[in-house]
Formats: sequence, structure tokens, C-alpha cells
Amino acid sequence: MTIRTVSRAFAIAVIALGAALPAAAQKKGGTLTYTFHPEPTAMSTISTTAVPVSLVASKIYESLLEYEGPGMKPLPGLAESWTVSKDNLAYTFKLRKGVTWHDGKPFTSADVKFSIEKVVTPFHSRGKTYFGQVSAIETPDAHTVVFRLKSPVPYFLRDFQASESPIMPMHGFTADEIKEGKFRSAKIMQAPVGTGPFKLKEWKKGSHVILERHPGYWKAGKPYLDQVVLRVIPDGAARAIAIEKGEVDLAPMSALPPAEAQRLGKLPAITASQDGNEGLGPIMWLEVNNRSKPLADVAVRQAISLAIDRKRLVDVIWYGQGKPASGPIVSGNPNHFDRKLKPLEYNVDKANKLLDAAGYKRGKDGVRFKLTQNFLPYGEEWVRQAEFIKQELRKVGIAVETQSLDMGGWLKRIYTDWNYDFTSNFTHNYPDPTIGVQRAFISTNIKRGATFSNSMDYANEKLDALFVKAAQTADGPARNKVWEEIQAILRNDLPVIFLMEISYTHVWNKRVHGLITNGVSMYSNWDSVWVD
Amino acid sequence: MRGGTVRFVLRRLAQLVPVVLAIAALNFALAKLAPGDAADILAGQMGHATLEFTEQLRREFGLDLPILEQFLAYMGRTARLDLGISLIQQQPVAELIADRLPATLLLMVTALVLAIATGVALGVAAARRQGTWVDNLISVSALLVYATPAFWLGLMLIVFFSIRLDLLPSGGMMRIGVAQTALGQVLDVARHLILPAATLGLFYAAVYARLMRASMLEVYGLDFITTARAKGLSEGTIAWTHALRNALLPVVTLAGMQVGHLLGGSVLIETVFGWPGLGRLVFDALVQRDLNLLLGILFVSSIVVVLVNLAVDLVYGFLDPRITHK
Amino acid sequence: MVALAIAGPLLYPVDPFDMVGQPSVPPGGEQVLGTDVAGRDMLAGLIHGGRVSLLIGFMASLAATLVGLVLGAVAGYYGGRIDDLIMRTTEFFLTIPSFVLAVVLVAIFSPTILHITVAIAVVSWPSVARLARAEFLAHRDREYVQGCRAIGMPDREIILLQILPNALPPVIVVSSLMVATAILTESGLSFLGLGDPNQVSWGYMIGVARSVLRTAWWMAAIPGAMIVVTVLAINLVGEGLNDALNPRLKQR
Repeated sequence: MTIRTVSRAFAIAVIALGAALPAAAQKKGGTLTYTFHPEPTAMSTISTTAVPVSLVASKIYESLLEYEGPGMKPLPGLAESWTVSKDNLAYTFKLRKGVTWHDGKPFTSADVKFSIEKVVTPFHSRGKTYFGQVSAIETPDAHTVVFRLKSPVPYFLRDFQASESPIMPMHGFTADEIKEGKFRSAKIMQAPVGTGPFKLKEWKKGSHVILERHPGYWKAGKPYLDQVVLRVIPDGAARAIAIEKGEVDLAPMSALPPAEAQRLGKLPAITASQDGNEGLGPIMWLEVNNRSKPLADVAVRQAISLAIDRKRLVDVIWYGQGKPASGPIVSGNPNHFDRKLKPLEYNVDKANKLLDAAGYKRGKDGVRFKLTQNFLPYGEEWVRQAEFIKQELRKVGIAVETQSLDMGGWLKRIYTDWNYDFTSNFTHNYPDPTIGVQRAFISTNIKRGATFSNSMDYANEKLDALFVKAAQTADGPARNKVWEEIQAILRNDLPVIFLMEISYTHVWNKRVHGLITNGVSMYSNWDSVWVD
Repeated sequence: MRGGTVRFVLRRLAQLVPVVLAIAALNFALAKLAPGDAADILAGQMGHATLEFTEQLRREFGLDLPILEQFLAYMGRTARLDLGISLIQQQPVAELIADRLPATLLLMVTALVLAIATGVALGVAAARRQGTWVDNLISVSALLVYATPAFWLGLMLIVFFSIRLDLLPSGGMMRIGVAQTALGQVLDVARHLILPAATLGLFYAAVYARLMRASMLEVYGLDFITTARAKGLSEGTIAWTHALRNALLPVVTLAGMQVGHLLGGSVLIETVFGWPGLGRLVFDALVQRDLNLLLGILFVSSIVVVLVNLAVDLVYGFLDPRITHK
Repeated sequence: MVALAIAGPLLYPVDPFDMVGQPSVPPGGEQVLGTDVAGRDMLAGLIHGGRVSLLIGFMASLAATLVGLVLGAVAGYYGGRIDDLIMRTTEFFLTIPSFVLAVVLVAIFSPTILHITVAIAVVSWPSVARLARAEFLAHRDREYVQGCRAIGMPDREIILLQILPNALPPVIVVSSLMVATAILTESGLSFLGLGDPNQVSWGYMIGVARSVLRTAWWMAAIPGAMIVVTVLAINLVGEGLNDALNPRLKQR
């Protein structure tokens, strides 16, 4: 917890400093080296949105807007300004003039229309979520783009992040690639041409990627850095040593094992921070099969929730890399999280009483009933967590048998066979809960074979109606009221047992400044990052 | 003799074909027995995939075809050494393996050379001083090492040499981000190689020492040694020339037979030391449950074993001229 | 050791998964051997782990011995086509790196005690089969066997009642040594995270301790030492059996 407090204070200080001090304090030049594993498989998020690709591609490509703060307040980017029609069905963007691609060609509205219509919507893994409601994209002139929507999308202005809706050069694709729709395997995926502050200089597979300053970048005086270097280090302990010895400046997105991140965060020269992820909103829960006999009983689910010491889970199993969950929306989301909510209660006595009252008597061996648990096959901590849950539930008389499955087996059992009792699961809120939260709980998403859908068979008409209402109401106090209601229902019904807001931890050397700027800080373009 | 050797090699290579086919078939069966398929896994990774998207992927991968057709396609691909795409890393498995194989071979060969040199020296020493404290010490130590899990021994060596004494690096293959001369690089890799090679080699050194001792004692009982002694040759000459050459045969045989075992051992050792070889790749594939990659590694490592066995047979002929390849 | 593994849980009834204390407490405190990364009693883990390791070791080598013996006997006694088939299969399994195959098998079929035991047996039987075949091959043309055939004894009886008792001693020696190998293999699998998630084993404990090697080396040292002692003891028993059962050595 101390890391968190310190880092938050530090992050605020950095933001404050960045705003208050004149540009002279920010040094120009130098190299920022970061480490991650595995290495990126492409240089564009159209190929895949996997973390290593998003990290590097967001420096090369830009979208129409930039964002500020954990609430993701939209700022001008490739679009200088924008207007929204009264009925929220038309968004008009005025594009910046004089912007050039890394190859020197001019950037125009044709690139925007092409990118969103032909590339992002069909091929980006969230493209249809963002632009599925778009009926037409018009380009009245070379520097104006108009999006026409079929129905209002309250989060539309948060769609234009560099890793989510990258604007790509139409001239960067060959005629064949465009004709046959071969975007994922297009040459430009490996040899990128963007408008961002950095361009690709060298990519040695298995070893490193070097990005260098784009001299024609449209923001005067930016970027501060000369180079951004990625070093691929396969071993977690070795990544930690590289940070400790100062050979590498930054290990973003939980690149270090949790124990090492905690240890290094206490060193004077190093900062470990869990900020800057608010726009991703990572959240972890126990997904519960509501078809399974005792689990269909809401009292049982509430008892399970009461039986788990979330603080100990965070501290011991995850070395403090996160915080106890309060519900479906992460507490770092300043727009939609209901600030009145406290983390879910831990109370073994109450859990036992609930189960007694519901008629689940303990047998001679102290066991009320047996359950099988699965866990997400993402590595060691997830196994440790399964062991922890098993011990916690034993205290309230629930015997748990753990079953270990690989990713294929896990997906099949949870989402195709629906044949499980409960399992750990991990997902993101994304910049808006309509994107990240709705799909797990709305009853229309109980679809056999659809991964990360409503596997619980949880159907609540009132909640369904609220989700539909939230998806159509413009962002603001009225919409927040709807989200408050949704959070209250899910906290009480507990179709899943919310466990913790698992955190991406970023560990960096204090010579680096200005990293945390918004809710997707590691996927930002780092044009204002500087080093001592 | 020469022509005989060539023919022998060709025949052995021809024998390889059914083995390779059988391994590929086994791989296919294992892949089909595993729950879930590549389309599920890829769609799962993309988070928001719809059912239609998963079906589209399944068609792209040919996973909707009848099983026999899939099998033939798989065998065809394998014959072209196309081991498929790593589900997690989205790169050809063959490429990933080719990147890592040299590091594994470096570790294995170093460990093997170390093991044979140490094992033979200790075995000979023990045999020549049969029944003395030297013999007893060597035999007991060998037994002890033989009972030690190599991965644990590696961890203990890290604790002692890297953490306590800070003498040697605790893992990796080289320092990163440091400009070095060519010679400096070689020395750097050598420094990183010491602990893993020693850990992996020690177990086999113990095995060979015991075998060598027994083998030497047996040879000492043969007539030609008695003759050599009668001719007045020194004990040293007898041990290192006459006896050694004959006593080495079983050690070479065993070393050849154990290459597969050694490869398996290196999986654990590479994991312990973060050595960027095949073993690391097995571990990564395991943690991420990347089945294509696991099967590809199984395939390649089997081929390595077959080839090494072939090489051992050739060395055998060199050590013992009486054996000709018919 | 065996007695300890069987009786241990009665003498020291602490659940090895129970988080009894602070994490990473060194030995010598309230928990005699300290606690692991999640605050679980190390001694309880050692005792329960011993049961699992020994159980898997014995069951896997028993299964491998049975399979190897049957196939080896059939191959050696009948010879010909069936011998060829079985021996080719044996060689094929000897070609595949056994640990890698065990890893793949356990990863695919999900780690449970049963699957781990089967996987170890699958990679262990060929050496028994080879040995058994050699023994049966040596015995099948002996006079006593020919005598049995002459009086019309069915093959099954000859194999089971006549040759088997003579062929068994060397096989017993090999399979006793196999228990040691199986324990080492199991510890390697658990170390890689392929253990049964419901059971503690020594290899698992070493694997868990790996992440804190820098600060708590004893956490990995103790279970490892247990493996060394156990495997050493089994090897010594195996050698003793060898001395007692191997007639060639007896003659010397």
C-alpha cells in the first residue's frame, strides 16, 4: 500500500510540475529504454491488441484525439477541434493542417475515412464496439471528417485513442492488400508509417526495437526524447535486475514479477506505480456458474464473498499489486465509479450464519457442500490465488477441489460447455463500462461458445434495461445515476464474486519524468516524457 | 570402409523417416486430444470476439474439415518442416525454435564435455586406487550427486555463488545493453555458462564416473593388460592408453543413449538459470499453454536425439576399429 | 522415510495449505521449519509432500514395470513379427526425450495425481520392456522350457509360472531404481508448475520458493534435501537388491 500512496503523490507532483514549470525544466534529448516480454509481433494494433504491440505502436501512430488525466478528458490531436450535433448523431472533426506522415506525404481526411471504415472497424479487436453505430463517414474537404451515427454512443469521444483507433496512411497499403482485405498481414504491419512523434529506426527480432524522433512532428519542440528503445528480456528476474542496475529505465504494464516490483519500489532511485491505468480498468473476479445448484442461491454467493479476505489476497498473493474490489467498476474510474462504495466486506461469522440460515448444514466432517474451482492459466500467482480461495472457503464449510486446465481447456469448459462451479477471471472496464462491463452481465450475451461473455447464465431484466439505458444516455450526471443503480444491483446479486482491482504496475528509474499523464499512460505517445 | 560408412549413414537416415512420421502422428493425436482448439484460444485472447469471428478463424485454420483431411494436411506441413504458428507469440514455431536451438546446444555440449572429462578422470582415478579412501570418496560423492535433483542443485549453486559470494551471474546468457568487444562477449557468455553447464554436467559426471570405474576394473582383468604389464609398461601408460580406450566404449554408448535425457534435464536447468534456449521456450509455452509450440519442441528434440545417436555410432567405430558398419 | 510419510499426517496434523502464520518466516520459530511465501507451515508441507512424492514414485514404477514386463515377455517369448513391432515401439519411445514427453502429456491431460503417474509410467516402461525381453529371449530355448512345451503346457502357463520367476530378479532391481527416477521426474514436473493443484509435493515447494530465493534460500533447500535423502535411500536399497538377487555377482 505504501508504494501506492507514494507513487500517487509522486504522479500528482509530476503532473503538477509538468503543468506549472516552464518548458526549460524539461530536458531535450536522451534515450528512454524500456523492457517487456514477449516481444511485439507487429508494429500496429490492427494486427493484434496484445500489450507489447500496443506499447510500441502507440508511439508511432496517432488518432484524432489525445487524452488528459485519469478521466480521459479529450484534447485536440490530429483533429484541431470538433463539434457534436444536438441529437448526438453527428460528430464533425476539423483536422490539423500541415501534418505529414513519417515518409513526408501529407495527412488528409481520406486517410481518416479509410482507416476507420476499412481497417479499424472490421479488423481491430474492438472496432465494431467503437464504430458499429457509424452509418456514414463523410469528407467534405481534405481537412474535415463527419461521423454519422445510427444511435447515440455516449463514449464516442473516448474512441479515438492511438492504440484503439490508429489512423493509418492509405498510401501505405498496396492495391492488392486493400482489394483482398489483407490488412492483418500487410507489409505496413512490420514497417510502419505513422504521424506520431517517433518512427521505427531498427527492429532486431528477439533482441530490441529502436524508435527515433520524427523530425517533422507537428507539435513544435516535441518529442523531448531522441529515442525510445525496447529491450526484450525473456526472464522476469533478469528484467528486475536490469532495472535495479539502471541498465533499463522502465518496466511497464507489470513486466516485473509482483514480488520484484514490490522489492524494487522501495529502492530510493526507483518508482513503482499503479497509476495511469484508469482508462483500461483491469478487474478480477470469481466467475460463478449460476446454474450450479448451491451457487444459484444468492445467499451462497454472498457468503462466499464474505468469506474471502481480499486485503490479505492483495498483500500476500499479489504483493500489493492491486486493491480490494468494490464492484464491477474500478475505483480509479473518476467518471462512473460510485464513490460511496466501500470494498466488499470480509466477515467469516456473517458468512457462516448466512449459510446456516439458508439451510446448508455442516456434515460430520464440517463440510456443507463441495465445489470445483478452475483458475485462469496465466501463471504462478493465479495458482497461488486458487490455493488461497480454497483455504478461505474451507473456513465456512465449503470444500473446494481445484482443477488445472490450459487456456484451450479453460475456455471450452467455461464458455462452451458451461460445465464449472467457479473460476478466477480477469477483464477490463475499458474507457467506458458500456464497453467493458455490460457484456459480462447482460442476458443477451449468454451465448454458448462466445469467449468472455455471460457464462454465468445470469439474467436480470431490470439490469438489462439499465444497461440499454446507459448505452443510450449522454455521459453526465443522469447517466452516472444509471451506473450507480447497476453497481448496487451487481454488488447485491453477486453473479460473480468481485475480488480485486488487479493493477498494472509500472516500475521506472527516477531519471524518467512525465510518464503518467492519463488513464492509458503506457499507451500514450510519450512526446512529453523526458530524462535527466 | 569409407564406402561402408557412407552407406551406413544413408541407411540410418532412411530409418529416420518412419520415426519422424510416427512422432508427427503422435503430435497430431496429442493436439487433438487436448481440449479446445486454436480458434478458441485466439478468439479468447482478443477478448471481444463474437461467435461468428471464432467460426471464421476455424475455417481459416481448416479446423472445420474432416479429421482425416486435417491429419493429412498436418503431415504434409510437418514434412515441409512447417510446425505451425505459435498460438501465443503469433510467429512460426520453426523460427522460434531455430532462434533458441543454438543456446541449448551450447549448454548441452559444454555440459556433456565437462561430464565426460570429469567422469572419466574420476572413474579412472577410482579404479586405479580401488579400495582406498580415494575410491571410496569418489564413489560416495557420485552416489550422492546421483540422488540430487539437478534443478535444485542449480538453485543452491545460485544461492552460494551468485547471492552469497556474488562471484557469478545468477542467470541469463549475457549482459544486456553493454558495449563489448568480440572477445569480451565470448568471455561474458562463458561466465554465464559456468553455473548452468556445471549443474547439468555434474549429474552425468557422477553417472560416468561410476560406469568408468566398473568398466576399467573389468578391462584390467583382461589378458592384454596382463601382457602389457609383463612387457614392463608403466602403470600410467597402461591405464591411459591401453585400458582407457577399451573402457570408454560403454561410456560413449551411455552418453549417446542419454542425449534425450540430457535435453529433458536442460529444460529444467534453463528454467532455473533463465538460459534463453529451448528449455526456456518449453517453460514459456507451458506457462502460456501454447500447444503448437510444445509439440514443435517435442518434434525437434526427438530429431536431435536421433541425429546424435547416429553420430555416436560413428564415434563408436572410431574408438573400436573392430566394429565395421555393415 | 516411508513410515514417516504414512504416519506423518497423524503425528503432525496441520493442513499444508493452511496459512498459519506470516509469510516467509525462517525456521526455528513457532513453525519448526518456518513458513513459505504464503505463510504456510513448511513441516506440514514436507510431510504431506513426502506422501505424494513416494506414492507417485511407487505407483508409476509399478505401472511401468507391469506394462514393460508384459510387452517384454510377449516380445521375447514369441519373437518374430510381434517382437519386431514391440521393439520398434520401444525404440520409438526411447527416442523421444522422456522428460519433454512427460511435460507435454501432463500439460495436455491436466495435472492430477493419476495423470502424472500415468505420464511417468508412459515414459518409463520401455527400459523394463527391453530388459524383460532379453531375459525371456534367453530362457525360451532352455531345456526346462522345451520340456514344458513337450508336455503340452499352454504358453500362458509357461510364461507366468516357469520363465517369470527366473526372469524377475533383474527386473525387480531395475524397477526399484525406477522409483528413484520417478520421484525425481515428479519433482521436476511440480517445479515447473505441473503438479496436482490439490496436493503439496516436494518439487512444488521448491518451485514456490524460487521467487524468494534471494531472501529465503532455506525455503528451497529443505525440501530439496528431503528428495536427496529419499532418492539416495532408494538407490541403496536397489543396489542391495542387486547384490542379493543377481546370480552373476553372487558367483564372484
